[in-house]
Amino acid sequence: MDKKTILENGLLEQYLLGELDVKESEQIERILSSDTELKAYFDQLEEDFETLGFENTITPPALVKSNLLNAINSASNDTKIVELKPNSNSKFYLGIAASIAALFMIGSFWMYNQLNAVKQQLQTVENEKTELNTTIESLNKELKNKNSLYAAIAHPETEKYVLTGNDISPETKVISYVNHSTKSVVINTERLPDLDADHDYQMWADVEGEMINMGVISKDKKLMAMNYIDHSESLNITIEPAGGNDHPTVERLVTNVYLR
Amino acid sequence: MQNDTRLIQQLKNKDESALSLLYDKYSGAIYSIILKMIRDEGKAQNLLQDTFMTVWDKAENYDATKGRFYTWVYRIAKNKTLNVLRKNDPLIQTDDFSVYKNKEEAISIDSEYLELKGAITSLEAHHKEAIELVYFKGLTHREAHKEMNVPLGTFKSYVRQALKELRITYSKAIIVLLLILNVL
Repeated sequence: MDKKTILENGLLEQYLLGELDVKESEQIERILSSDTELKAYFDQLEEDFETLGFENTITPPALVKSNLLNAINSASNDTKIVELKPNSNSKFYLGIAASIAALFMIGSFWMYNQLNAVKQQLQTVENEKTELNTTIESLNKELKNKNSLYAAIAHPETEKYVLTGNDISPETKVISYVNHSTKSVVINTERLPDLDADHDYQMWADVEGEMINMGVISKDKKLMAMNYIDHSESLNITIEPAGGNDHPTVERLVTNVYLR
Repeated sequence: MQNDTRLIQQLKNKDESALSLLYDKYSGAIYSIILKMIRDEGKAQNLLQDTFMTVWDKAENYDATKGRFYTWVYRIAKNKTLNVLRKNDPLIQTDDFSVYKNKEEAISIDSEYLELKGAITSLEAHHKEAIELVYFKGLTHREAHKEMNVPLGTFKSYVRQALKELRITYSKAIIVLLLILNVL
């Protein structure tokens, strides 16, 4: 379509008046947007048609305008009612429900954490309690032991004998408390020199020339009870292989004392 | 007539006061067109309201680069009126979509509303009639040339000639207006 055809066929006029179909209208619009000369002609045409229209103005009754504005208001009100009210309400309730659910979740999580922490604390407390019980038990045992040793030492009929070291072990000094009525022997090994791990001190009672085992002296006790042997004439301490011996090794006698 | 850009933007943003102002400005010219087409005041008023309802609802469809706001509203009003005319006259509609056969019988309107005013009245009778048919009565060029009983080419030249004369009248009016403004 060239410019001349458009002008001679009055296509712009027909386009303006809305007589053309969609396809033709689009064609004209395309041409107008690219051809400034035709566009200027069309602008003039529009202006003249508009002036023509305004010259023939007939004022419509005021009722038409109020009806129009009412119609628009009620239309917008209708859509407001349909769209906003239930929507905002349901959103509001949904929001509340979501908030409550979130609070529950946070609360549950917090409580679960708390429960775990409390469980752990309880476990710790139980462990400590068991430990304490064990400690108390061992302390009690020790106290009983010490008490009995003390009772034995403090007994009025207890006699004290000092075993001083011979040439093999001159620094040895063992105190022994012997009570014939209660048949107990307690010794203080504070001044007994340390031995290596392969050897132990062992105590013997001499009964009519025969050496009878009174027990191996413990390395980690300062005060300990030994076996009381009836009719013993002397107390002897020898160095023996670790764990003790059936018979004393006389060559390694470190000290002895005769009983009265 | 133009310089409504701001109002039209407000209209697109659903500003009722913009619609009110644009209605005040354009309703008279559009009402005149509808009245002259449908020749029934009641129907014309309904159509005018309907036209501006569409203007309100479809404002975002208006594209200022394609033409004037008046032209857009004019086309809406014309299409709506033609639809009503065709619906109401099914027998006439079958005849070449021309809704204007026997139309003179259907007049229920103050004849004053049908009279043309302004520059168009100074045109030669056949030029005036050509414009009246296509612009005020809503006929297509193809319907109008039959109505005037002249070939389509001749009818088109009537329209072109009429528009040229109107153009001269309007530019004279502007010159006179400018002269008056200068004198003042």
